Amino acid sequence: MKYTPTVEQTFAGFKELSIAAYKEVEAVLPFIAPHGEADTLYWLEACKALYSFERDAGRAFIRGSLEAEQVSEEVRQWTGQALAFMQWRASWRALEGFMANVARAYGSLGHAGEKRWAEIGFSWCARQIESGAAYFSMPVLELSGRLGGITAIEQIAGPADELYESRKLMLGTYLTGAVRVRNLLGAQAILPWASRGADILQTGRARGEAYFRLESEESLAMLLEHLPGYRLTDRNRLLAMLLDVWFGGEFELKESTWSPEKGRPFIETDGKSIYFPAVMADREEAILALLHTAGHMRYRTFERKALEQMFAEANLEFPKAGAVSWAPLFIKYGDDALRFQLLFDICEDLRIDAGVQRNVPNYLKRMRNAARTLNTRHSGSAAYYDLALESIEAALVQLAGGAADERFAELLVPGATVADAYRAAAKLYNGTTLPPVTDLEAFQAAYLPGRSPNATRLAHPQESDEQSDQQQAGAEQQSEEQEEGGEETEASKNAESGEQQEDGEKQEVPSYGDSSGQSARASGQSDKEGPNTGSSDKGIPYPEWDYRESRYKRNWSWVQEKRLAESNMGETNRLMKQYEMALKRLKKAIQSQKPTRSAPLTQQLDGDDMDLNAVVSYVAEKRAGQSPRPAIYKRREIRQREVAVTLLADMSTSIMQHLPEGGGRLVDRIRAGVLLFAESMEEVGDAYSIAGFCSKYRDNVSYYTLKGFNEKMSDEIRAQIGGMSGRLATRMGAAIRHATASFEGVESRRRLLLLLSDGRPEDYDDGGDRRYLHEDTRMAVKEAVAKGVHPFCVTVDTMANQYLPQIFGPGHYLVLDHINSLPNKLPEIYLRLRR
Amino acid sequence: MKTATNRVRGVEHDIVQTPQVGDVSPYYEPQGNEVAIFEAAYKRRLPIMLKGPTGCGKTRFLEYMAYQLKRALVTVSCHEDLTSSDLVGRFLLEGSDTVWHDGPLTRAVKAGAICYLDEIVEARTDSTVVIHSLTDHRRKLTIEKKGQEIDAHEDFMLVISYNPGYQTVLKDLKPSTKQRFIAINFDFPSEEVERKILVKEVPGTKPEMAQQLVAIGRKSRLLKDHGLEESTSTRALVYAANMIGAGLDPVVACQVAMVNPITDDVELSDALMEIVNAHFA
Repeated sequence: MKYTPTVEQTFAGFKELSIAAYKEVEAVLPFIAPHGEADTLYWLEACKALYSFERDAGRAFIRGSLEAEQVSEEVRQWTGQALAFMQWRASWRALEGFMANVARAYGSLGHAGEKRWAEIGFSWCARQIESGAAYFSMPVLELSGRLGGITAIEQIAGPADELYESRKLMLGTYLTGAVRVRNLLGAQAILPWASRGADILQTGRARGEAYFRLESEESLAMLLEHLPGYRLTDRNRLLAMLLDVWFGGEFELKESTWSPEKGRPFIETDGKSIYFPAVMADREEAILALLHTAGHMRYRTFERKALEQMFAEANLEFPKAGAVSWAPLFIKYGDDALRFQLLFDICEDLRIDAGVQRNVPNYLKRMRNAARTLNTRHSGSAAYYDLALESIEAALVQLAGGAADERFAELLVPGATVADAYRAAAKLYNGTTLPPVTDLEAFQAAYLPGRSPNATRLAHPQESDEQSDQQQAGAEQQSEEQEEGGEETEASKNAESGEQQEDGEKQEVPSYGDSSGQSARASGQSDKEGPNTGSSDKGIPYPEWDYRESRYKRNWSWVQEKRLAESNMGETNRLMKQYEMALKRLKKAIQSQKPTRSAPLTQQLDGDDMDLNAVVSYVAEKRAGQSPRPAIYKRREIRQREVAVTLLADMSTSIMQHLPEGGGRLVDRIRAGVLLFAESMEEVGDAYSIAGFCSKYRDNVSYYTLKGFNEKMSDEIRAQIGGMSGRLATRMGAAIRHATASFEGVESRRRLLLLLSDGRPEDYDDGGDRRYLHEDTRMAVKEAVAKGVHPFCVTVDTMANQYLPQIFGPGHYLVLDHINSLPNKLPEIYLRLRR
Repeated sequence: MKTATNRVRGVEHDIVQTPQVGDVSPYYEPQGNEVAIFEAAYKRRLPIMLKGPTGCGKTRFLEYMAYQLKRALVTVSCHEDLTSSDLVGRFLLEGSDTVWHDGPLTRAVKAGAICYLDEIVEARTDSTVVIHSLTDHRRKLTIEKKGQEIDAHEDFMLVISYNPGYQTVLKDLKPSTKQRFIAINFDFPSEEVERKILVKEVPGTKPEMAQQLVAIGRKSRLLKDHGLEESTSTRALVYAANMIGAGLDPVVACQVAMVNPITDDVELSDALMEIVNAHFA
């Protein structure tokens, strides 16, 4: 090609500079030259300048020029922009990014947009060259997101400017995360997300950077909190109730580690637990998904026998123990694995849905309606979605007595198993003409609302019913035998213990979690070293019920009355402030109940008012020739205290756990609950006492009286409530016996023992035999009732329905699904009980 | 003429009303052997205690039995301030005279009626002691104020009811009172019986509708352990059927008759409504 002499001359100059550069310019020059001599010279000079400024910069510029020219159809603007990079040191990386993206910037933003895009970048290069590099290196399409256009880029850059001004936050740190946040939640979410990140960055670099990479828990939590859709995390209780209603409970619900990055949210199961994501698209999908997943467990997708059969048919070896991977079933199909997996899931899900339909009326219809309302199908997998929908329609027809679709007919029979689904899928696969599916998004989009890929988690095979019963029974028997062996040696010695024997017993005890076991052992030693102080320090002995021998073991558990050493007025004040409104409401409610409660005493021998009814009957009886008692007055006076209550709080280690929903520990709620209870009781005017208990072995049950019946409420007591904390284990029976005994000398006719608990009775020396302390607690409750004390248990253990009915009797316990409601509920429960 | 007055003022009845020929039998659907038990107890004039949740049919059962046995039924709803004179009777001034007025219990004792003390635990303990001498072999009512003792009419029978729910942990009958009674446990009727009840009780209810309502009721009762004080009663089902019969949309009818009354808890009503919606989807 012919160039003008000036151009030729300048071009030839490159040979001296570098042969490599000359070659590269030679390739591009023919496309630049048509823009006229001036522009060509300008460009050549720029090449030279950038090349001498920094080799890499020059090379990047020359290489990028070709595409830039093609898209922009000009030279001067971007060449000028490229030259601007020379004002910053070490800017070649930024320039490299710029040149890589400038063509696409022209393409998607237009000339004006490109200019603005470059300006934003320059302002960052001026602040910090790494940020500029990060900005220019990010593909323009990614930067502008789905929305596209320069405004979308400004939405990202705007908050960045603001954060730079206020917090000196660099764009480089923030950019990748911000783009993802924008894509997930929209532009308005960026600023709050990033401000929080800036705060975190100040506390620690690594933590802050992890936050901005969206890798830290806190960043994820922040995201999930703002995610649109139906929030399952807040509806744990509803989900549990629905499972209870439709499938009869006994499911373990866990939150999955799903994050928006992982694509579509699904509820999944591994045969043991149900995992739900933080958010799902809408309520209907969430509920359908919950029912469907529970259906997998109820209709035994994971039944060992069926799984074995399925593996056998696929000529695969079934793992003898442990969790089973689904992968071998699909790997067979090589590159087509996803296609087969989809077909298999369609069959298996249909089988499950037909089962769920038997439990939940109209379930299939709802599934169909939800599937139909989704209008936009993913182009890559629409055929599978429609096939699944078709299978549901077919099922509806068949179940209504219509003609059966032979492809799916067998799956709708109640006895069908996962192996049948596998067979049906294989048949379907052989005859299919459906297109292959390759990418994950299409794969996920193939599932109807409520369904989910079945193979994402390892499967935990379920034993079939008889089998598992047998096994369990066997295991129980075994453990019983073992225990009996242990018991014998113990029983052969005297029940009234000597120090030595106890040590022997302690060593037999399996440790109960590492740390506690150790500490127990350590303190056991110190016990031994300490001087033998005799039985008065050992506390008060109570009998304990041994169900295995159906007899009481005399003087078996020893209760020590103690005062709580810790007190924390600061915590109390904080709680008082936090629950100020709640307390006000409670007091108001109590006052409004008062008139009926402390109604004037009628038919009194003296008083400050006439009881008209009594007067009338007095006069009438007198006239009739009787000599009635002149009890014709009424008195306004708080009725003699009718009810006395002890609030007995479980103070075992478990109350120190952090709440799953966040916002502190269980003990915080317990403190608040006890405090509100105490303050309400002051208002009610009933006699009350507050105590806590914990235990470590049978001879070491600590009973902390925070407030006795005859004590007046004081700041000291309040501070002690603020200082409550958890330690050791829960020997409930002994505590109940002691609490019952402490009612002695209380005049009230009705006596209530309100037990506040978070779990089942357990102690380090129960040898893992839960039944032992259960039975003992049950007996302690019976004894209390016989002594005129009514125990009532309030628990926050959601599994408590399994054991509390046996211990306290139906109707004598309450399971609080919401731990957060404990503080408000506790006084309310009492008020209701005392009615 | 009489009906016109009745429309204006309601109808006054004496509390002791023996069923007459031509009266319509109250509708009751036996759930088990309770009718036989009641008849046996009546034959020997033993007092009866009906236990069971609210709205499961205790009162209706008694109305039915009274009709079958052709006895008058005197019902006293007990409450906290119910005194023994409210049961036994009192002197009243009339003009310049004092006149003794028998209380409902005394009247029943004299007339040989069935006396029904509803929710007896609500009454004060001193008033429950009055019934002691009536409920054992003595069958006597002591009227202290008149210095009298009344031998009960040979057809007299005492029935009490109580609902062992958890609100009454502190209110329980004394064992000495309890053990004087033949006790019949009531629970919500079986599915089939409950369906029958709905269809009979609310004329015009279609069997399919009855079946759905009963299914909803049964599922709702499963939520009892999640904080419901009282579960969905048969009465609530009847109410819902009535509302539907009056033209209300089934979902709304269930909400107002079966969900709203029993809970204020948002999530609980959400779960209950989910059951309702599933059935009417």
